[in-house]
Amino acid sequence: MKELTITSDAPGERIFVLGNEAIARGAIEAGVQVAAAYPGTPSSEILETLAGVAKELEMYVEWSVNEKVAFEVALAASICGVRAMASMKHVGVNVAHDSLITANYIGAKGGLVLLSADDPWAWSSQNEQDNRYIALQAYMPVLEPSSVQEAKDMMADAFKLSEQFRQLFMLRSVTRIGHARSDIVLGKISREKRKGKFVKNRDWLVYTPREARINKPLMLERFDAIKKAVNTLPYNQLKLVRGAKLGVIGCGLSYSYTLEALKWLGIEDKVSILKIGTPHPLPEELVIKLLKSVKEVLVTEEIDPFVELHVKAIAGEHNIAVKIHGKDLLPRVGELSTRKVTEAVIKLTGAKSPVDFARLDKLAEETTPLLPWRPPALCPGCSHRASFYAIKTASKRVARDYGQDVEAIYPGDIGCYALAYNPPLEAVDTTICMGGSFGIANGLSHVVDAPIVAHLGDSTFFHAGIPPLINAVYNKANITMVILDNSATAMTGFQPHPGTGHTAMGEETVQLKPEDIARACGVKFVEVIDPFDLKAAAKTIEAAIRFDGPAVVVSRRLCTMIDQREKRKRKEPIIPYFVDQDKCSGKCNACIELLGCPAIIKEDGKTIIDQALCTGCGICAQVCPYKAIIEVSQ
Amino acid sequence: MTKEFNVLITGVGGQGVILISELLGEAAVKDQLKVRGSEILGMAVRGGSVTSAIRLGEDVYGPLIPTSKCSALVGMEPSEALRNITCLSKSSLVILNTAVTVPFTVPLGQSSYPSLEAILEKLNKAAERVIQLDAAKLAQEAGSLLTTNITMLGALFGTGRLPIKVSTIKEAIEERFPAKLAPVNMKAFDLGYESCRRALK
Repeated sequence: MKELTITSDAPGERIFVLGNEAIARGAIEAGVQVAAAYPGTPSSEILETLAGVAKELEMYVEWSVNEKVAFEVALAASICGVRAMASMKHVGVNVAHDSLITANYIGAKGGLVLLSADDPWAWSSQNEQDNRYIALQAYMPVLEPSSVQEAKDMMADAFKLSEQFRQLFMLRSVTRIGHARSDIVLGKISREKRKGKFVKNRDWLVYTPREARINKPLMLERFDAIKKAVNTLPYNQLKLVRGAKLGVIGCGLSYSYTLEALKWLGIEDKVSILKIGTPHPLPEELVIKLLKSVKEVLVTEEIDPFVELHVKAIAGEHNIAVKIHGKDLLPRVGELSTRKVTEAVIKLTGAKSPVDFARLDKLAEETTPLLPWRPPALCPGCSHRASFYAIKTASKRVARDYGQDVEAIYPGDIGCYALAYNPPLEAVDTTICMGGSFGIANGLSHVVDAPIVAHLGDSTFFHAGIPPLINAVYNKANITMVILDNSATAMTGFQPHPGTGHTAMGEETVQLKPEDIARACGVKFVEVIDPFDLKAAAKTIEAAIRFDGPAVVVSRRLCTMIDQREKRKRKEPIIPYFVDQDKCSGKCNACIELLGCPAIIKEDGKTIIDQALCTGCGICAQVCPYKAIIEVSQ
Repeated sequence: MTKEFNVLITGVGGQGVILISELLGEAAVKDQLKVRGSEILGMAVRGGSVTSAIRLGEDVYGPLIPTSKCSALVGMEPSEALRNITCLSKSSLVILNTAVTVPFTVPLGQSSYPSLEAILEKLNKAAERVIQLDAAKLAQEAGSLLTTNITMLGALFGTGRLPIKVSTIKEAIEERFPAKLAPVNMKAFDLGYESCRRALK
């Protein structure tokens, strides 16, 4: 039999996939024709999967410059009657927020789905916001899957529901859905291909105050229809147990943790369960039935008490006297787990604990001090390490002129380079959001007297760095803006962007250069450096910091992971460096303490270079005061 | 019918932890088993801690292994196995690659690495049994250091406890690698498998 793939039209067959691939498969089954996204963990693999099959399936797939544009691309397709989606991480929805609220006044013609990948515990994010609150504000119905299979099924259905109710739908994924793995049963693939048609309609599409007032009531009507319909959607299921004192309402993935917890406790037949697949709007009839049948309710959901608040409101409105628990027993911070739900249920039922959790906690407490600290680090050979060394060298020289105790300030941004906040580089003083480095630098320049050297990556520059750069020119902010250009969206998996010269679908395109943009925006000091030439790089950055007015330095070197991959393809050797033990004192540790490269290690008091890890960038050879680090070939 | 069998693979970014779980998952589907799993990568592009869970059986719902419910822990790196000690119980097996990867914080003097004896003592106390393996050496014997993870996968099957057939996982390995690389991986699997069998004798 032919091996099954993500595009196999083989209903009923099972394949093993990543959650994000399952979500992409759902969209494929729905016959999505337009998909746009900006990369962000844990959502990137959705669009990557679609990009890989776009030509085969005749869809249009793009990496947009940011989430706002991605959403607008999808919205436009929907307005023209074509099924479309935009996928992004939770904080990406903030970027799309401006279009989102008004988009809901428009509603959907072609099925329109926004995939929000929330990140409880902020595994790879700057916060753990709960995007169901954005959906609440926007009157956007939310589907929240309890498993990878359901994520696929919901994604496929979301397009149909969106068309049926003429409303934009959100699918709320979480890290443990998108980055979970599971077997899934495939459904049928829709082969319908629609031709987009734009119909001019001022009342519907041109939002002046008049149209807002026309369309908001229509949106509310649509939302009310959805509110009724969710009571019978298969994603919401009520299982009442006769005589049960406790009812659990499990939302999305928390439902799975709940089932497992109740089984672990051996009380799955003694508790009533309401599975919630639509946290917004809630299936009110089912909630009321549960509330009336039990004495106490526990709501399990990830991050904030969203369902809990609405369940409490329903109980209040219908005068149902039932004690409702949720975040009083479960954390608002971090992911839920079978254990956390188990412990909450034990508190409410007095059920016997299946294991001695206290003993395990004690074991963890005893073990932690033994463990080495293993933070993620910039890769060996990463150009950012060199850039930061040069930035710090230059900044220190200039800071001295400001006064004895003055230190340069380094507003940083979102990307691999955020890892430079760790010692020994310590070159990141703020990380807030995409493009936030340049914005914060603007503000700092008007209130502090110190060199301000902000830095962000190339993809981040295109995403959100250009408006604050223009702001710096316009408002005369005396700052240095370094663009760490490694020609990749490296942190999320090397997706192409406007600086790479090719598109998501692998087509050649115009390659934009940050330095051209900076010059066009009126920056008078714009230089491009190679960070691997540490001396020259530091000299140019120093000149940029001393320049009176906004200055831009583009520090350009291909991401080492791509570089090595390409070298292997070309069969070009990677020549590592080694430490000449006759010259190395073994005590100065400059290479280790200045660079923090994972390839430089200590063995029996000797400083050595791990030949398997070293990529031959040669940065350490440049900082070694004894010239003890040399290329292997020499 | 398998009710619940939980495998946790722990290691360091770049050691091929995820590949092991992908192969297990693909083989499990072939053997008609229900599979759930998830990986914890954090921001670890390279060098950070990585764990990946693969859960097999009818009673499995969540993607992560509940505390103490790990059936077999595949430790690609000793301290990373120790980091996950609370997933173990007296019915868990640990298959441990004894090759150490020291994080950069150790030469920087910001943390220290425990002795292998200390790690083994802790793991032995928590688990039913710890099976030690010099997986890197076996991988080199097979023909490539890059097959270290497959050696560990072989050892996992050498325990004889998995609900997946050995022939099925071999099929998954064969399908995964290009024809030219399949034999070396198959040899690595066999060496790991035999090494575990010998240790259990």
